[in-house]
Amino acid sequence: MKRLSVVLSILIALSILLVACAPAATEAPAPQPAAEEPTQAPAPEPTAAPEEPAVEEPADPNALPRNETLYFNGLQWGAVKGWNPYSADMNNAMAIGDGNNNFSVQLPMFETPYMYSLLDGKAYPLLADGDYAWNDDMTEITFKLKPAAHWSDGTPVTAEDVAYTFATHIKYETTQGAAYKDYVDTVEAVDPQTVVVKAKLDANGKAVNPLQVAQYISNIYVLQKAWTETLEARVNGDAAAFKADPAEDVVWSGPYTKHFADDQKVVLIRDEEYWGQDASMWGKLPVPKYLAHTIYADNNAGLVALKAGEVDVSQQFNANVQDLWLKDNLPISTYIAEAPYMVSASLPTAYFNLKSYGLDNVAVRKAIAMAVDYDTIIANAMTNQSPTFNQVPRSVMNPTDGEQALYDHDAVADLQWTGNDIEGAKALLDEAGIKDTDNDGWRELDGKKLSYKALCPNGWSDWQAAIEIVAAAGEKIGIDITTEFPEWSVYQTVFTDATVNNYDIFMVWSNGASPTSPWGRARQLMSSEFAGTSGNWNGNWGGYTNPRVDELLAMIPGETDQAKLVEAYTELTEIYLTDVPSFSLMYRPDFFHTVNESVWTNFPTADDGLNIPPTVLVKGYGIAGLYNITLVAAP
Amino acid sequence: MKGYRKYFLNKMIWFSITLVCAFVLNFILPRLMPGDPVALITARAVRGMSSQSGIQEVYNQYAELFGTNKPMLEQFFLYVRNVIRGDFGTSLSQYPRSVADILNSSIWWTIALQFPAIIVGWLIGNTLGALAAYLKGGVDKVLLPVSIFVSNLPAFGTAIILLVIFGVGLKWFPTSGGYGFDLIPNFSYAFIWSVIVHYQLPFWSVVLIAIGGWAIGMRSMSIYELNADYVKYSRFMGIKDRKIIGYVFRNAMLPQITGLALSIGTMVSGAIVAEIIFSYPGLGSTILTAVRGQDYPLISATTLLITLMVLSANFFIEIIYGFIDPRIKAAQAD
Repeated sequence: MKRLSVVLSILIALSILLVACAPAATEAPAPQPAAEEPTQAPAPEPTAAPEEPAVEEPADPNALPRNETLYFNGLQWGAVKGWNPYSADMNNAMAIGDGNNNFSVQLPMFETPYMYSLLDGKAYPLLADGDYAWNDDMTEITFKLKPAAHWSDGTPVTAEDVAYTFATHIKYETTQGAAYKDYVDTVEAVDPQTVVVKAKLDANGKAVNPLQVAQYISNIYVLQKAWTETLEARVNGDAAAFKADPAEDVVWSGPYTKHFADDQKVVLIRDEEYWGQDASMWGKLPVPKYLAHTIYADNNAGLVALKAGEVDVSQQFNANVQDLWLKDNLPISTYIAEAPYMVSASLPTAYFNLKSYGLDNVAVRKAIAMAVDYDTIIANAMTNQSPTFNQVPRSVMNPTDGEQALYDHDAVADLQWTGNDIEGAKALLDEAGIKDTDNDGWRELDGKKLSYKALCPNGWSDWQAAIEIVAAAGEKIGIDITTEFPEWSVYQTVFTDATVNNYDIFMVWSNGASPTSPWGRARQLMSSEFAGTSGNWNGNWGGYTNPRVDELLAMIPGETDQAKLVEAYTELTEIYLTDVPSFSLMYRPDFFHTVNESVWTNFPTADDGLNIPPTVLVKGYGIAGLYNITLVAAP
Repeated sequence: MKGYRKYFLNKMIWFSITLVCAFVLNFILPRLMPGDPVALITARAVRGMSSQSGIQEVYNQYAELFGTNKPMLEQFFLYVRNVIRGDFGTSLSQYPRSVADILNSSIWWTIALQFPAIIVGWLIGNTLGALAAYLKGGVDKVLLPVSIFVSNLPAFGTAIILLVIFGVGLKWFPTSGGYGFDLIPNFSYAFIWSVIVHYQLPFWSVVLIAIGGWAIGMRSMSIYELNADYVKYSRFMGIKDRKIIGYVFRNAMLPQITGLALSIGTMVSGAIVAEIIFSYPGLGSTILTAVRGQDYPLISATTLLITLMVLSANFFIEIIYGFIDPRIKAAQAD
């Protein structure tokens, strides 16, 4: 009996194991089923080895041949909801500009007149023919359209389309319409090829903001008038329905269109009739036939897929990205070969709430900012994927060359603290008379202990690490700072509403690269128009006011003289670093542009001389990269 | 039969009361969370927009659209009216998708993953438990402890171990998704095969952690029954072992059947851990995103679905128990 039971138990154990491994046993030689079934797609699971240049039979329309498909991650989270470029709710990161904090919009399916490059801040013509021109008063922009440009239904892209698109945005109160209606008055078609964008004028007859007008033409898609009218007729002019329509019948002008979308992926397919193969534009079609984005649950799942070669272009933060090639020996690389690997464009910033006790005192603010160990933040939170404040001294500028050239570095050099300056911070506080008078280890201001909460949203792990380091700095200089991490859904209702904001030190992103930066960022950091407002998604959440700043901010957009611009930006930087209404904790890339070269190669890099920005080959001028990539193994 | 009708009516009344309470709570509780989901959508829509009046306008549009600017009571009656019509409304976090559409696209993956996994886990667990009780020896000393050990690993632990060993290390199974990253759904051999292969790791991660619990329950119930007086008496009567075991296991099964029904009832809440670790589609991750995005209509609809499933499972068990076990009916009907 006993022996029987032992034998039985072994049998059961074996059978369970066998059941568990059964599909595995047949699955192990992965590529073989494909070889046996020539009509099938390559096996579902490619091994680590690069794909053989498979000889495709007249392909299975449901398969995505590996050597014709470029795979992405880190852009699309959650299912695509539709293809309506008038809507801000389509959650369609491969095709439609997501209004995210950068202005390199998605260009595979819909196109703007100009393509923005975050590297040099320039606008490269796409639908437009040549550069745009301002009139002498800087109240209107004129540009021409390329005669070759046509829609997917074969009709030409006309100035009337451009004009009607803007009118529609305004009429149906779209998000884009709301964003530009204070700056752009009308868009008019002079003739079928010529467009005039007229700026809104202020009381003095000058453009309210010429920078925003220039941004419009590289930020807002041109959409077909005829299709727009179809959509309007379908929804009977109802604005909510207009913006909620999934627009499955949309007409596009770009090189790709929708092929498939579900909860697990979205796939675009190349439009073989794309107008851009005309010599006046690219002169050819983009290389991959399909652009596919698998929807991963989180960064970890995306990283596993990137390592497995199931992702070619990655736009997600991978901690210690260099380990992928140094330790794992994978054919993975970043835009810049050495640290900081990425092009940083924004400055995640900690704001001081000037209503909190003691934070209205500039010595307290500056002391905290000076004591923070930024190198540790960049090493830990960013795993060195952004430059340090020694490499790029702090200002209101991001680290790109274009912005760095806009202020006088020597003039503010004395003000640019690099951090971890505990003694300097202590001396500053002592000098201001803020000392530990009751010997409890914490400093008091007028007899009241300085004690603060530092916050950022829960789960934003790199920010949480940074905020912890801010708290540690406080302890070193005798200011009590504790951390708190509310859920984002709560956090965002508090810091955006000055009437309820009880956060002392709190972290918010900054504007990245856009045609209005660095003006937009300086305004975000200091403009008093946002102080004390609720529903504030714009900036200056701490409530700082300074009339001189407002003057400078009002002057810059209309200024064209480079020397005067530099002077103004230098003064802004000086004020910012003197008054410390907030302090940047790190530089951060808009895109964590990382590529796996097991199937595709020749991706844009910093030193290839092509000047293509690291915007993951679908956004802004980065789309030029799609025309240059090649297969590792030539077909 | 009269006693049974009374029993049935009694259960029915309680079922209805619970359902109404749950329905009201499903509506109210998500709305009591701090935070403003409309501000969340607005934030997403207006990032980078710098016109202050424009932002306020976008907010007002969304508030109007979702009716969050109306009083709570009015919102409730609107909700009741719509639910009765079978309309669960539009999702906030996934606007403009309808709640029905979201549920429809994820629930089948969940049922296909959970239902077989629960059944298989239940069968293996109970078989193990029964064998351990009856055979003792090897099964009781080796197999049972091992399965209990595996079951007691936290769910994410088991899932990650499976992922690392079979997905990343041995590359036998894919690491994410419900089907191949290079396929588009269709009725072909390649696609179906891909679905089967992608199914394995999430499936076994659910099954493995379920086995131990069932096995322990079944083992102790069986041991208790094996030592019961009627078993000893039957042995004295010379009834065959096989026949006695039949009696024993039928009795020992009772609580296990309750457990199974409850598991099936809660099944739609999804295998959140498996779904997230393997990026597998399903309701679990849908609920998680709904909660994080404060998506009231979606939270209410999913919790209502779960409530309904659990309540009906309970209800049917009670009814069936009335038939299977007359003692219960007798006790309740008095």
